Amino acid sequence: MLRAELRKILPYRTVWFILLLFVALLALFVSVGSGVVINGQAVGNTLYAFPEVWHKLAYVASYFNLLLGILLIILITDEYQFRTFRQQVIDGSSAATLVQGKLAVSGLLAAFGMLVVLGVGLFYGLTRSPESAAKVTQELGAVVLYGVQALGYLSLAALLAFLLRKSGPAILAFMLYAWVVEPVVRLRIPDEIDRYFPTKVFSSLTPTPGQALLDTVTGPSGAMLPSQALPLALAYAALFWALSYLLLRNRDL
Amino acid sequence: MALLELDNLSKSYGGTQALRGLSLQVEAGSVYGLLGPNGSGKTTTLGLALGVLQANGGTVRWFGQPLSAATKRRVGALLETPNFFPYLSARQNLLLAADIKHAAPATVDAALELTGLKSRQHDAFKGFSLGMKQRLALASTLLGNPEVLVLDEPTNGLDPQGIAEVRELIQRLATEGKTIIIASHLLDEIEKVCTHVAVLQRGELRAAGPVSAILASTDRIVVRVAPDVPTAALQQALAQLPWVTDAQPEAGGVLSAVLAPGQTPADLNRALFAQGVVLAGLELRHRSLEAQFLELTK
Repeated sequence: MLRAELRKILPYRTVWFILLLFVALLALFVSVGSGVVINGQAVGNTLYAFPEVWHKLAYVASYFNLLLGILLIILITDEYQFRTFRQQVIDGSSAATLVQGKLAVSGLLAAFGMLVVLGVGLFYGLTRSPESAAKVTQELGAVVLYGVQALGYLSLAALLAFLLRKSGPAILAFMLYAWVVEPVVRLRIPDEIDRYFPTKVFSSLTPTPGQALLDTVTGPSGAMLPSQALPLALAYAALFWALSYLLLRNRDL
Repeated sequence: MALLELDNLSKSYGGTQALRGLSLQVEAGSVYGLLGPNGSGKTTTLGLALGVLQANGGTVRWFGQPLSAATKRRVGALLETPNFFPYLSARQNLLLAADIKHAAPATVDAALELTGLKSRQHDAFKGFSLGMKQRLALASTLLGNPEVLVLDEPTNGLDPQGIAEVRELIQRLATEGKTIIIASHLLDEIEKVCTHVAVLQRGELRAAGPVSAILASTDRIVVRVAPDVPTAALQQALAQLPWVTDAQPEAGGVLSAVLAPGQTPADLNRALFAQGVVLAGLELRHRSLEAQFLELTK
């Protein structure tokens, strides 16, 4: 199954383009980060000190999950457009194997995201803040949490792709939901409830660096701790994939 | 043994009833044609049989079992259009299909060879002409050497030579013992390659059985009399012959009629001459399949 997915993905230029874009944008963002001026002082190379860099990178990378989501939407809606889902069902696949194939792809994309975060972190950390190198393995959990977050956003992207079947509407719905619809709905809902919303849960996995410090000043933000959000995020991802499966199984191809 | 059994299949799209209680059986070893005008339900029938459409009612059984991954792998099918990844080469597309069908990669070479695509195997699918896409789809159905082939409009988009090649291929596969199910709106195609046929119209089965029985053509005899003989005299003379039926005047002052089995045009000529009616023309006209088909789907 994974081999079949790789046969589709590896020769596809769009895939490589988006993955390279992901790497380039993240690296660019991180490299200019030290130039940011706060209170008249550049942040400087302390930005890259281990182990805090892992939290900062996970937070920054969370914004680029959008790219991975768009890529997965393209890969799924392509199969509707090319009618290859239909052909694979004729050739012996079931709805379950098709969904499992895309789930495997989402796993690969999340693993890719984690590897890029690791690579970028190691490169900038070791070159710009070598004195902290001894702490390089500390708090790597932040990278794993980022990976889970990527899985979560990808499960949402997949559900919208299976639901809408066309790339344009699915990409639009994905961005609108994550950035507009859910935030607007959350505004009208008490904090105790809105923290359980899917993208809120996913974003709780990579909190803003220094959030704990901010909380002492402004009071708790209402978001969950990453450790609390983890099981819920996995549950949401499982739910979205299950819904994708039901959509594919019960509709005509 | 019935290799494919469709029992009381129904399918509607929104408010449109595409298929109404269709039942038919395809016997092993037959070349079975599904014939019908566009929109008659041929592709819907095949889509239900292949498991890509959800039936509103009825059952599909292959090899005496419900549709499953195992039964699907014994069937090679092409439905409507050739469905491939445009950015992959012909070969890459077939390797992918072979993976899904659990077919040996070696069968990819054989399929490319058989369909004449060997020299273009490394070209991307998107650059192919419609005819080449159709050939690639045929190649894909042959992967894993399935017992049954399901072909929806297999000669669609092919030039005359390509059509002849595909028909020859189908006949060759049939003689190898494969069961072949073909949907087509081309009567000629069905008549040339099929042993059995089911005629569909507006989602209903109009007739099913051996081609010879369903599309049996009743030939008509066309007679023209000399200009000095009134047509009425001819009609009268024909009415005297009990083995001539359905005499009808046609355009151009000719008459056509049906002869009883065993009677030849020569018999008719002799009988009319005996009655003093001299013919200026006598011709046996094979009834067109089109006419027979229109009759069935009236």
